[in-house]
Amino acid sequence: MSLTAPRYSGLLVVLLMVLQWAGQGIPSPVRPICDLRVLDHFIMEARDTETALRGCKAGCGVTGTFVVPLTNVDFLVWETKDIWEQAVEVQSGLSLLGQALGAVGESLSNAVMQSLITNNKSNIRSLGQVLHSLHIKRTPPQVDATIMKVSSLSELLSVHINFLRGKVRLLLKNAPVCQQSSP
Amino acid sequence: EKKMTNDHLKKLLVYCMLCCTQKIIVQGAQTFQTKVALLRHVEPNNPKCFAEGIRDLTCFWEEDEERAGSAKQYSFIYTYQNENSSECNVTALPAAGGRILYFCRLSQTQLFVPLDIQVFRDGLLIHNRRLHIELFFLLDPPVNLTVKRTEKQGQLKASWMPPPLKYLDDSMMYEVSYVIAGTQMGQVEEVRASSEVILLGLQPGAKYSVRIRVKLDGVSYNGYWSAWTDPVLMATLPGDLDPLIVSLTLIISLILTLLSLTVLLSHRRFLLNKIWPVIPNPESKFQGLFTVYGGDFEEWLGYSAGGLCLRPAYFYSEELPAPLEVLSEVSLDLPSSPLPPKAKQAPGEDEKLKRIDSLMERWRETPHEHWLMDQLRVLHQLPGPQCSQLESQDAYVTLNAQNHSGEEPLDDILEETLPLQALFASGRTCSESHSDLGSLQQSSGSGRLSTQSSFEYPNHTWPPKGPGYTYMAVADSGVSMDYSPMSSSRIDYMGKGVIYTNEYRNEIPAHRQPIPFAF
Repeated sequence: MSLTAPRYSGLLVVLLMVLQWAGQGIPSPVRPICDLRVLDHFIMEARDTETALRGCKAGCGVTGTFVVPLTNVDFLVWETKDIWEQAVEVQSGLSLLGQALGAVGESLSNAVMQSLITNNKSNIRSLGQVLHSLHIKRTPPQVDATIMKVSSLSELLSVHINFLRGKVRLLLKNAPVCQQSSP
Repeated sequence: EKKMTNDHLKKLLVYCMLCCTQKIIVQGAQTFQTKVALLRHVEPNNPKCFAEGIRDLTCFWEEDEERAGSAKQYSFIYTYQNENSSECNVTALPAAGGRILYFCRLSQTQLFVPLDIQVFRDGLLIHNRRLHIELFFLLDPPVNLTVKRTEKQGQLKASWMPPPLKYLDDSMMYEVSYVIAGTQMGQVEEVRASSEVILLGLQPGAKYSVRIRVKLDGVSYNGYWSAWTDPVLMATLPGDLDPLIVSLTLIISLILTLLSLTVLLSHRRFLLNKIWPVIPNPESKFQGLFTVYGGDFEEWLGYSAGGLCLRPAYFYSEELPAPLEVLSEVSLDLPSSPLPPKAKQAPGEDEKLKRIDSLMERWRETPHEHWLMDQLRVLHQLPGPQCSQLESQDAYVTLNAQNHSGEEPLDDILEETLPLQALFASGRTCSESHSDLGSLQQSSGSGRLSTQSSFEYPNHTWPPKGPGYTYMAVADSGVSMDYSPMSSSRIDYMGKGVIYTNEYRNEIPAHRQPIPFAF
């Protein structure tokens, strides 16, 4: 028997409270959210959505082209970028994914899938707030070489998962605020 | 000289570098072989790929030597999503079982993006696979595994150094295996995002073998379990006596003791009879024998002789009086002739012979019924010879009624097989062979003597070979023997010679009646 890790449900409550305050426009000092277990939770939910999609015929009837961020990480290249470049890349990518998921949700006929997609979209918004807590400013999406186009829901969800597991996680792990607060 | 020294130093440095490089290469080769062996069992697809860090990827496949070709025949093509294809150089190595191992190693990789791999042999596609490199990590085992005792019993603290991989340390999970040294029974503990663990619930005073392996947790990164580390042995603290356990043990012991005592006391009589059975006491059968006469049976017999007739139980005891075969030759001649060879000639026997002669004389003089008993008692008081009382040399007292004219060797007479009549017919010499008539009254400790008497009581009476035939009846009740002359005539005939004795056996014919007594 070993010492078990505490559950992160309490952290989610704190995050929701932060989001609520942000939504109300009440400026308040936001405590940085450095616990990666929140991100892990969002990643797991994205996987559940991808798994549920396999049971959906013909991609659940979703058609169209979606602009999504690139997910590949070459550490030799990534480490040459500073934190703000990384943050810009992550924020723009999250924005693109949010837009794409929003467009998918409107055309879905499957109620279960629609619910899951809506949840994933909500998670992306939450990640934006987490990045805000790290004092990383938002930037508008940029059309550059860091984007690509996909034409199916499965590709979209795969990009969603890879982006969260890769660049988002690397940014959160190496955030200067979190580096200062960790022992 | 300086140049020579520098040259020597350079050579030494190069030699050290070569040695270190060789050592690293050897270790790397061993590690590679270990990982190849691991993947061979757990990965069914080809090519089998694994990443040891965040920047590399190694893929390999094996082929039989018969079908295998040279490494140049193979092409390893890999393509990242939305990128152009690239080729990796293939290397061949001999493998176990006569197979050839082909592998390709990429030194710069991209994670979180699909990677397509194709293997061609002579232009023909033999293997095709798509994978995400961040999901195929095969790390080196943790290092510096340390196991220490804590202050508490049944606990050990294990700590280790995780593989030095940036970005992955918080995504690692560990498996800690701890077993009692020398056994196969143990447990496995899973640890996440930590490099130490406290093992609980261990046996006090036991030696544990602890080892550990690592794997990525599967959320952002995934892969295979690494190889186990070398086991580390550590013994737990010896156990102290728990006061609760001690008190419970004492209470249970006390309860068991009380129960045992209760059972023993309730069955004490039965147990005593089994362990120490009561010795049967014949006192009830012989009233006054022990209380009045102190166990002296002679005296008891003497004082109770008058009542014996009124006590048929004395004669008809559980053991019927054994008939006594009485064989003897009584010679009226004085023992001037040498004693027969078989007769015992022990020191002190001369005195006894004289004694017996005097007895015979007296017998002639006192033909009372009790005379023989008296004489026997007297004889009993004589110091016994060296022979044991247990020897079957009880005296046979036979009163021969015939005048023996012939001389016959005594040996013939000593044969037990001779019929009674023959013995009575011959035998004119008496020789004393044994005089320990007292042995007839053996203590109960020997338990033999009285059973050795036999009395041949033929159906027909002894043919009176001549006048003066005398015989004596002996009754063996198992406790003592009683002699009583049944009839007498020519008693004076008995005054001569010595008493001739023979060994005899106790045979109680079933049809025999107890010998009636008459004094």
